[in-house]
Amino acid sequence: MENKKTNSNQQGTVPAIIAFVGVVFIIVVIALLNAPTMGGARVMASVKTYFSEVRATAMPFMAVITILAIIGGFFIAREVKKVWPDERKRKEFLTGYAFLAPYLIVTLTFTVGVILFALYISFNKYDIFTRPEWIGLDNYKEAFAGFTDSTKRDFLQALYNVLWYAAIVVPVQTILALRMATLLNAPVKFKQFFRTVFYAPSVTSSVVITLIFIWLYLKNGYLNFFLQSVLGWVGIDFTPIAWLGDPRGLIQLIVEAFGGEIPSSQWYFRGPSIAWMAIMFQNIFTTVPTFMIMYLAALQDINPALYEAASIEGANKRDVFKKVTRPLLKPITMMIVVLGTIGTLQVFDQVYLATSGGPLKTSLTPVYLIFTEALGVNGPITMGYASALAFILAAIIFALTFLQRRILTKGTEMY
Amino acid sequence: MTVTTKDNITPIKVKSHSQAVTENVIKAFFRYLLLIAIGLIMLLPFIMAFLGTVKTDQEILSYPPKFLPEVWRWDNWARVWNTDLGAGGTFPRWLFNTAFLSVTVAVAQAAFGSMAAFAFSRLKFAGRDAVFNFMLATMMIPGAVTLIPAYVLMTKLQLINSFWSLILPGLVSAGSIFTLTSFFRSIPVDLEEAAIIDGATYMQIFRTVILPLAKPAILTVLILQFQSMWNSFMQPLLYLNTPDKYVLNVALSIFQQQYKSQWNLTLVGAMFNAIPVLILFFIFSRYYIEGVAYAGIKG
Repeated sequence: MENKKTNSNQQGTVPAIIAFVGVVFIIVVIALLNAPTMGGARVMASVKTYFSEVRATAMPFMAVITILAIIGGFFIAREVKKVWPDERKRKEFLTGYAFLAPYLIVTLTFTVGVILFALYISFNKYDIFTRPEWIGLDNYKEAFAGFTDSTKRDFLQALYNVLWYAAIVVPVQTILALRMATLLNAPVKFKQFFRTVFYAPSVTSSVVITLIFIWLYLKNGYLNFFLQSVLGWVGIDFTPIAWLGDPRGLIQLIVEAFGGEIPSSQWYFRGPSIAWMAIMFQNIFTTVPTFMIMYLAALQDINPALYEAASIEGANKRDVFKKVTRPLLKPITMMIVVLGTIGTLQVFDQVYLATSGGPLKTSLTPVYLIFTEALGVNGPITMGYASALAFILAAIIFALTFLQRRILTKGTEMY
Repeated sequence: MTVTTKDNITPIKVKSHSQAVTENVIKAFFRYLLLIAIGLIMLLPFIMAFLGTVKTDQEILSYPPKFLPEVWRWDNWARVWNTDLGAGGTFPRWLFNTAFLSVTVAVAQAAFGSMAAFAFSRLKFAGRDAVFNFMLATMMIPGAVTLIPAYVLMTKLQLINSFWSLILPGLVSAGSIFTLTSFFRSIPVDLEEAAIIDGATYMQIFRTVILPLAKPAILTVLILQFQSMWNSFMQPLLYLNTPDKYVLNVALSIFQQQYKSQWNLTLVGAMFNAIPVLILFFIFSRYYIEGVAYAGIKG
């Protein structure tokens, strides 16, 4: 080892240069694939036509990435030179990156690369078949145009809908999951069996569950029949509701019950519609089991000695839950709330299958809107606009989860 | 609460004991009642849907609906199995497509994931922690952001309507690497140190020491990734657009439009989709549940 180190100065130079060239080459290829040019078969007819498109529209993009690639390549080359003389370090370095290579290449291409592309495109007018056209912040302004022009309120309404969705679904599913987990954590027989049965809805595809629920929600379906029979016994006359087709909002229903009225120009006071709440219910049904399992694992992780100590000190069950269980569950609760928020703000499957965003756009969601805008379902293809919507949604998700972490971690320091 | 005379103590104790017993019995009774009720609620939609599959076209639409079918029409299942949307869109085909994609992605994730996890948990090299933190950061990125640009990239690579459009991005995932890394870190290093002294290469250590010990974690990743590909909907809907390439979920969404009021047939499709995953789940439920629980605790 010592001998090798003495003549090490020149030893690592050639591998360092190879590493530098390799890294820059791979990053530039990935950048080329994700360069903001027109898409489609015409431009991809040959490498030559593609390169001429890149030259025409994507030079600033390529320049920025190439500079970043050179900086990154430089750092890696320096590392290579440093580790090369030492056999063990060299082996670890090379094996490490060789083992990470599949992950790095796929992620750089299909996550980092595409996000850079989307970021660039969100400042452009882009419909995949023509060259992107720089329009600055127009797409972002357009997203919030609904504040002044009520015909363009789709995105605002979508945000409004998912915020209601998260506000109702996240607390309900978290509380239900905790209740079910504590129930299963008690000494019961056939625990495994119940756990398996409870978890079954979470295993099944959301498409399957949504289809079954659409059927149960039909006007001549089981839910109406069930409510009619049960309410019939108590003497209440129940008229069947088309659950997934009813746009009346929760607050609207309450106001109307007192003889009031909310005009459609003030849609934002109407609250979540019946259709939307029906989808919420179905979503809770599928997600509760997953979170229940997480809570159950956390409960089983709690050291039983803590409970013994508490009972020796004469604490009753309620106290034990408050003072021992709840604080210890805080990290998992935070995780469940954050995961729930991320999931609920991105609802898509249920909306696509059950309502297509209707009735009266009361179940429209940002991801569904992004999907339809990007594919031009209701008009021209507007991929730049859709990308801008995706970034706004991501910013909202980050902000909300960050806030939740701040609020929920408050006061846990003492434990 | 201080009791002074002996005579008083005995009756009180006996009473409180028997009270406690009856209380416990009542509590246990309600606990099981609640467990069974929740279990029924969880299974009821599946039971209803299953009974719906064997009803006739008229029966499924009648109101008030009946719980049990009058005649069990098993031929509904055959009708759906023999569906032909043309252009190669048949049921066995969709089942094969879904299974093929799910197995491929699951195996790739287990293989590449354990390689990456080995690098993260066992090797020391410059940039390792930076890459690991970068991976954690990518887990926070909402899927909505990559949806459109990934579609554009697939059109450029001319992979639209090809299974590669789902396989390539699915080869690795931060989630499975993270699970495997946490597991690998819990394996003691003593064994490897002996192997290193014996002159084993890292590849040999990976294959002969780590992989055999990590079998449960790898099985968990295999199962969870199989399920997640089987159940994925948005990406296949976006990328696969001819009937011979559909996966079950996409075909099902077409069914719903095609069969309109023939809910018995749509429900058969739903059952065909759900049954394989449910069987897999009942066989491997321990690994499923451990995987989910693990993700919760370690995350």
